[in-house]
Amino acid sequence: MSVIPVLVKREFTSRVKGTAYILTTVIGVLVFVGLSFLPPIMERISSSFTPKTIELVVLDSQAESSLLPFFKALSADREGLTIRDASGLDEREAYRMVLEEGLAGLLLIDGPLCTLVTPDSKNMVLNDEIRSLVNQAATRWKAAELGLTQEEMNSLFQAVDFRIREVAPEQDGATEVDGIAQTQSMVLAYFLLFMIYMALILYGNMVASGVAEEKSSRIMEVMVSTVKPLELMFGKIIGVGALGLVQFIIWIGTGLIMAAMGRTGFLGGMLGVEASLSTLPLESILWFGLFFLLGYFFYASIFAAAGALVSRVEEVSQVVSLLMMFIVAGFLAAYISFLNPNSSFAVAASLIPFTAPMVMFARIMLADPPIIEAAASVVIMLLSIVLGTWISSKIYSIGILLYGKRPSIRQVARLLKG
Amino acid sequence: MSLVVSDLTKRFRDVTAVDGLSFTVREGVLFGFLGPNGAGKTTTMRTILGILRPDAGTVTWKGGPIHRLGSRFYGYLPEERGLYPKMRVAEHLEFLGRIHGLDRPTARRETARWLQRFALEEVRNKRIEELSKGNQQKVQTIGTMLHDPELLILDEPFAGLDPVNASLLKEVLLEAQQQGKTIIFSSHRMDQVEEICQDIALINRGRLLLHGNLRQIKKSMGRQILRLSLEGNWEFWAKIPGLQLLEERTDYREFLLGEGVDPNHVLAEAMEAGQVIRFELVEPSLDQIFVEKVGEGA
Repeated sequence: MSVIPVLVKREFTSRVKGTAYILTTVIGVLVFVGLSFLPPIMERISSSFTPKTIELVVLDSQAESSLLPFFKALSADREGLTIRDASGLDEREAYRMVLEEGLAGLLLIDGPLCTLVTPDSKNMVLNDEIRSLVNQAATRWKAAELGLTQEEMNSLFQAVDFRIREVAPEQDGATEVDGIAQTQSMVLAYFLLFMIYMALILYGNMVASGVAEEKSSRIMEVMVSTVKPLELMFGKIIGVGALGLVQFIIWIGTGLIMAAMGRTGFLGGMLGVEASLSTLPLESILWFGLFFLLGYFFYASIFAAAGALVSRVEEVSQVVSLLMMFIVAGFLAAYISFLNPNSSFAVAASLIPFTAPMVMFARIMLADPPIIEAAASVVIMLLSIVLGTWISSKIYSIGILLYGKRPSIRQVARLLKG
Repeated sequence: MSLVVSDLTKRFRDVTAVDGLSFTVREGVLFGFLGPNGAGKTTTMRTILGILRPDAGTVTWKGGPIHRLGSRFYGYLPEERGLYPKMRVAEHLEFLGRIHGLDRPTARRETARWLQRFALEEVRNKRIEELSKGNQQKVQTIGTMLHDPELLILDEPFAGLDPVNASLLKEVLLEAQQQGKTIIFSSHRMDQVEEICQDIALINRGRLLLHGNLRQIKKSMGRQILRLSLEGNWEFWAKIPGLQLLEERTDYREFLLGEGVDPNHVLAEAMEAGQVIRFELVEPSLDQIFVEKVGEGA
């Protein structure tokens, strides 16, 4: 009988009760619950920026201005906008009126030049709002001068209805692309990608520090006299992986429960798109699981080898920083691939083991890459896992009994040859 | 016939830790594996256990390669003690039993039995990190015996134990030996080795200095120690060729009897010099053999 299940069980049970694990799980759950409440919160925040009522005084320096009546007319279209004509007052008196009555500002019209005099020039939202109001009035004024009717003006500003269809060689005709659905899947893809990224860093570090802990507590010598280094390494990797999986199931479960409770708004609220876990097809969850596991197993063995090279837990961060850079590079590559999931860059990055788990996942979520490319990526990942694990287990089995100064890369290479 | 180490060599870059070492451990004996610090004891033990691969030489058990025997066969107490600090005592022992190939009920039963044997029942649910160093060491020692191995390899098992626990361990080791187990252990305490070991090997700088049955080794040293206590003229001994003063104690002096020196002749001379209070012929202690042999090589 293999000892790996016994090792996995120890790894799992001793960590699952740990404060660090419970804390990250709870924080994750809170984040998921928080995210589902995000859209209404965001709405409230953004509405606090947009002024509901604007009270303006207008002073036209020219007796016969054409902009003024168009500007005044705007108050009929925009709720909460009050415009008072200050004709007859001089500038100073108008200033005083703004300050005394607590108005939003004074708009000075001098031909084509408009100046806003305001007690709070830092209020960007208000400034922009008034600028756009002035522009609207100016457009209407110009249209009237050109003698355009209301219909003519509407048609002038009518946006083109732009649609996208996709053709494929095996299909007769072209399929309509749903822009909203595309944005939705992009938001979800981005979110899940971020979770893979976080998981690789989190659990990779857990593996490395776990190995270093075993070394620093000197249990390692008992373990290697009993268990093969490869078994020991797999026990750790599978144990930590199982912890990660449980955490993910809890988190995604929370997301699904929140979605079922009608809290559909989730992340997408910011982009004006309702994107929720409930819109996620099962297929995507399975792809997510597959690429999470492939990425995890590839990186975890390397993290284990890195952890075996140090004597104390405090030194772990030094050796894993290089590995973290690979993960960050993978994330950035996937992020760039979002812009054009079928570009040659994205295709290449989905075949390199360090970036593939994240890039290929992003491509599958966003575009329908040829099945042969997806298969190639998975096969390359599997082969890399075998190769990576083999090399890592060599480094690991040498490293676990080395104490003292951390060996250099050259020394490790020499040990590997010997 | 037993554990045979032959021509074992292990190098670490430019240091040769074990250099063509050969010795045999008979089945069912308590075997003392001795040597000064840095002699290569730990490296030899690790190589026997298969943790290190030798550069040359072999280790066999009853004629077959030892590494085929599996984890159930040995128990190992490394010199650097270490357990998982966060695990609880009973849980940890069960885990050690399990990775040595015990099934769960057996691991549980043996844990309970050994905790009782080592008087550790009251700490069974404590975390390892909460225990004293001595108790941690006892837990780890149990971990080497829990799965009833045939071969025990213990690196300095007595170090860090108080006299009560040291004598408890001595008892347990003798018991294990009576059950037919083979026990190799290293120690710096020569008196303990003398007390319980049948066979020894003494190494220095990776080479064998002495090896065999302790009684025979002592005999084969070809000399005897004389302990003499005298009221009278001490200077008589200088006239006897082959007699050499080793040590002056408050109550007696120790002499080395050279080859061909007749103890009776010495006694006669001593009686002439004064009142003999003590006249005792003893074998050299292991301590003396150790110092002498290691000193010769230096």
